[in-house]
Amino acid sequence: MLDAETLSVTLGRKPILKGIDLEAKAGTLTCIVGPNGSGKTTLLRALTGEVASSGRLRLDGQDLRSLKPEALALRRAVLPQSVPLAFPFTVLEIVRLGLTGVPGADARSLPAQALHRVGLGGYEGRLFQELSGGEQQRVHLARVLLQVWQPVVHGIPRWLFLDEPVAALDIGHQLQVMRIARDFAEAGGGVIAVMHDLNLTAMVADQVWLMTAGRIAARGTPAEVFTDATLAAAYGCAIRVSTPPSDGTPFILPQAAA
Amino acid sequence: MRGLLVVAALAATPALAQDRVVVAGSALCEVVAALGQVDRVVGRDTTCMYPEVFAGLPDVGYLRALSPEGLLSLDPDLILADVDAGPPATMDLVAASAVPVVRIAADFTEAGVIARIEGVAEALGVDPSPLVGSVTEGFATLAEARAAADHPRVLFILSAAGGRVMAAGQGTAAQGILTLAGAQNVLDGFEGYRPLTDEAIAAAAPDAILMMDRSGDHALDDAAILAHPALGLTPAAQNGRIVRMDGALLLGFGPRTPEAALALIRALEG
Amino acid sequence: MVALTPPASSGDRAPRAQKVTLALVALLLAAGVASLAVGAAGVSPWAVLGDWLAGEAIGLRERVILLDIRLPRLVTGALVGASLAVAGAVMQGLFRNPLADPGIVGVSAGASLGAVLVIVLGGLLPAGLVALAGSHLVPIGAFLGGWASTLLLYRISTRAGRTSVATMLLAGIAMAALAGAGMGVLIFLADDAQLRDLTFWNMGSLAGSSWTRLAAAAPVMILGLLAVPFMARALNALSLGEATAMHLGIRVERAKRLAILAVAAMTGAAVAVSGGIGFVGIVVPHLLRLAMGPDHRFLLPAAGLLGAALLIGADMVARTIAAPAELPIGIVTALAGGPFFLWILLRKRGLVDL
Repeated sequence: MLDAETLSVTLGRKPILKGIDLEAKAGTLTCIVGPNGSGKTTLLRALTGEVASSGRLRLDGQDLRSLKPEALALRRAVLPQSVPLAFPFTVLEIVRLGLTGVPGADARSLPAQALHRVGLGGYEGRLFQELSGGEQQRVHLARVLLQVWQPVVHGIPRWLFLDEPVAALDIGHQLQVMRIARDFAEAGGGVIAVMHDLNLTAMVADQVWLMTAGRIAARGTPAEVFTDATLAAAYGCAIRVSTPPSDGTPFILPQAAA
Repeated sequence: MRGLLVVAALAATPALAQDRVVVAGSALCEVVAALGQVDRVVGRDTTCMYPEVFAGLPDVGYLRALSPEGLLSLDPDLILADVDAGPPATMDLVAASAVPVVRIAADFTEAGVIARIEGVAEALGVDPSPLVGSVTEGFATLAEARAAADHPRVLFILSAAGGRVMAAGQGTAAQGILTLAGAQNVLDGFEGYRPLTDEAIAAAAPDAILMMDRSGDHALDDAAILAHPALGLTPAAQNGRIVRMDGALLLGFGPRTPEAALALIRALEG
Repeated sequence: MVALTPPASSGDRAPRAQKVTLALVALLLAAGVASLAVGAAGVSPWAVLGDWLAGEAIGLRERVILLDIRLPRLVTGALVGASLAVAGAVMQGLFRNPLADPGIVGVSAGASLGAVLVIVLGGLLPAGLVALAGSHLVPIGAFLGGWASTLLLYRISTRAGRTSVATMLLAGIAMAALAGAGMGVLIFLADDAQLRDLTFWNMGSLAGSSWTRLAAAAPVMILGLLAVPFMARALNALSLGEATAMHLGIRVERAKRLAILAVAAMTGAAVAVSGGIGFVGIVVPHLLRLAMGPDHRFLLPAAGLLGAALLIGADMVARTIAAPAELPIGIVTALAGGPFFLWILLRKRGLVDL
């Protein structure tokens, strides 16, 4: 279980997160949604230890800040929004960087499996920089998956933190990636994902944290959080849930494909 | 005369007669040549350009950037080096190989020239007295001429690349030769060679300008001097007292120095 | 399945890297032997070895040339080349920029300033100290200057335990300008002879190599070289940025600190014994990335081997081409490295993101 109390982050002099209490269980998928600048990514970074924060922060009962990077790397993997790359690595070399906690026997075959998982089987020898944006993002997902290949190890769950994992993807790959996240949670691991797409969120999330101005304004199942009033207040515009366009404009929902 | 000197040397120190000498330092080369010992030299540094016979010998590099293996490759039995020769690490290594290294230090004065000749002669095991005698005689002639000279105030210009004048201050060879010629260096506020501002040149107001005879970027002909904003205004330029002399002769401080100073006196008299 | 895919497209460049490394070991050995055998003095190590095995006495001249001139020079060249190339590879990994070089951490500027300071103002030091240091005064000045500037730069760019690589880059430029100004003042104060010394020092040379100098500099360079293999994984992870490296379990701040100190040690000592030798730190890692990919686990050792072999080769050219005089080695490396560097820039011109 991931839990925090009065979690606060200040960047410079500006308070970004203002005393957040939260709880996420292993085996579930939690989506963080909210308008731009509400603190979604900062919350994810605080939860992964990337930015300094105050307040209590625990991962499966252990103080997360007391864990060294190498110990933390065995417990959770993080997919950032964008990853810079300096040198001409091949796809295989990138994915293999995720082999932090994998025993040597599996190290040979797992990278290929991870690439298959994200729909990039056979891409091992390609140069990373020559791939499209969406392919690059999936290569990083394969690397992150490899880092926590078994969702549960010795009874301890592992965690996936995803920052807008489907931002650069077409709808088919969006569904594929969310399916991977869902599977990870169902196998006993914990997943926290920052999402922009409310439809996808409604489709896969066990729990939603709706953020506004550095606080969690609403939390619960998608059905509980995604109401006209709550969304309208958070996003500052009149939103109506589950309502087809009145003028007959086509609309495409990922749910329909699933 | 040369043959005679060699015979004298062999007679004086028959057992020590080194015949594979490397010389580093232009003044030392001149002395070696004046002592008639060029035949014993197997290598010289880049600064040894006079007399021309040295040009045909292997060049071991610049005086201050000598290579240890380069020196030893000539299989020398004596290295005659100016006190400035280096780098120190090279000189240490060469000394470690048991090749005798004789360093000669001397200043830019009459006594310095004599000391240089005596030092080289001792190292080569030859009798310095004939050369010392003739050089001393030269200095005596020079002293008479100097007494009669009119002690002009002179600006020595080392280079004027791009119109920027580098001039000689105190403690330089140029200062030394000016003193020997009875002239006065107009610049006495600094040591070594420095770039001068136009105002400093104008304020110095030299009676004469002395330069080395050379071509290229450092060269400055009379027209250029007259056109120069500061040099053109000096009495030297106005009166056309601009002297050019061979650099090695002028600044060498070897056996030719009395001759050089005398020539300078004549040239300054115009 | 992996075995069936051809090696070119398997994405696994480790076998190739191993082959390249083996070839480099052979190259280094060959360069070392050639360097011992070649020189202005025409002393053959084989003949000397034969004499020694036959129980004959070896002449003092042969012994000095082989054991006190060529051998320390070979070892110095190998260590300096390895240090400069490895330091270059580490800097490029740390700054995530294939054009970074050790100069960025201020070592070169500081070392130059230290050397110039000693050359010009050495006369003002207490005579006892000068006598004690002897001909090592300039290397000592260079090493202290290099270290002082690196530590200063490190302090400037570190806030609350975090070192900003970008700040370091910018501060490094400012420091280099400052050191340049300091050198300008010293050059103004210098006399003619000192100016010539400065010029030659800046062009680099291994001519001053000796066992005593090596005894002081080698441990520092070796310490730096030994620390580097432990950074390979961190540098690989850092290719994806500091945040991702942290997520992958790298102690990023510690890795950066270690890298900067190791680079300062290697470069400082290398510059101190050899003066200004350029381009080895950029050309060698780049060449190797083309040959075997950017994986630092293979790149760092290979850079050491190739850097050593290259510098030994360059020194052979430097000390034989104008024999018995010798060319400053910095001229040889710059003559070979300059055009190569331009070629890199031309090739990279079309690439937006590197």
